[in-house]
Amino acid sequence: MSDAEIFKVRNRLANHVSEPGGMTAGMAGTRAARELAAQQGKSYEAIGEALETLEWLCQDKSAPMDSVYDLSTTVLDIAGLFDDKQLCRAAYSLCELADKLRTRGAADWAPIKIHVNGMRLIWNTPEASRESLNAMVEGLWSLTEHLSIEDGEPEAPAA
Amino acid sequence: MSLHPDVRLNLARSNVLLIDDNEQALEVLASIFRGFGVHRQVKCGSAADAQAVLRSREIDLIVCDTVMPDMDGYAFVRWLRREGPEEARFAPVIMLTGHAARSTIESSRDCGANFIVSKPFTPEVLLQRIYWVAKDERSMVRSDSYVGPDRRFRNIGPPLGVKGRRKDDLSAHIGIAKDPNMDQDEIDNLLKPQRAVL
Repeated sequence: MSDAEIFKVRNRLANHVSEPGGMTAGMAGTRAARELAAQQGKSYEAIGEALETLEWLCQDKSAPMDSVYDLSTTVLDIAGLFDDKQLCRAAYSLCELADKLRTRGAADWAPIKIHVNGMRLIWNTPEASRESLNAMVEGLWSLTEHLSIEDGEPEAPAA
Repeated sequence: MSLHPDVRLNLARSNVLLIDDNEQALEVLASIFRGFGVHRQVKCGSAADAQAVLRSREIDLIVCDTVMPDMDGYAFVRWLRREGPEEARFAPVIMLTGHAARSTIESSRDCGANFIVSKPFTPEVLLQRIYWVAKDERSMVRSDSYVGPDRRFRNIGPPLGVKGRRKDDLSAHIGIAKDPNMDQDEIDNLLKPQRAVL
């Protein structure tokens, strides 16, 4: 094995960031939040479409687990940009579940349906009232962890 | 810990490459960067498109999603660091992760990205990571098994403008001298042995 080579590189971003002008971090944060708000409608439509497809897959019960995984990452990807913690946590749990199932080459639609129903409930609940759904989200995680124990994996640490 | 709201930064002339296969997520990401004042952004829906962009344009920052069909974000960064165009090979990369699939855990650790940001996140967190990447003074390492920023831990304190988590955290940045340099006589006097008075 050859030795590691350690060297410095020019960072153009550093030069640009320090140029005169620009804006303060506070102003950039405010402007980004305004731009995000303008994108919220379309984004939540896309999440709604992904949830509808997941609901249909749960009825059909023939899709490969890869499809469930891809749709749950779609929800996580979009909701994650809006700091939607509950929806992200529920979607992450479904990603984990689908990933475990596909690794085992199995399909178990009952826990998937519970996850999709939970995500739909979160999506339909106004943001101000979502705190009340924390216990439900923890329940989704318990379901996914239960599958890990069946697998013989160590139990995940408490959040 | 977030970037102090008064810290000033200029991203107007930075060329930023955004990569995400999810069209809506890419739009949202682009809108966040517009908010940050980035005028020059290139959006790519796949790693293959991004590879083509890097061969033809100068890019200062790459922001890349991890889960993508065909070539995922980790494989893309691995390609960039090893086989990417010379000009872009060591461009700073921020990876955005949703779920870490079992099959990708090892590749995520060794891909060579500068920072990994987990979703969900706020624009403030992303801006802070951009600032950190810009101020990142780590050397690059090239070895058989890894190409990317030096991952060895060295405590250099929080970046300039960021308050540390501990009350006695100090940044390693010394800043510009406030007083004129000492002349040689003053330095000699400091070093001259003197009788101690007990």
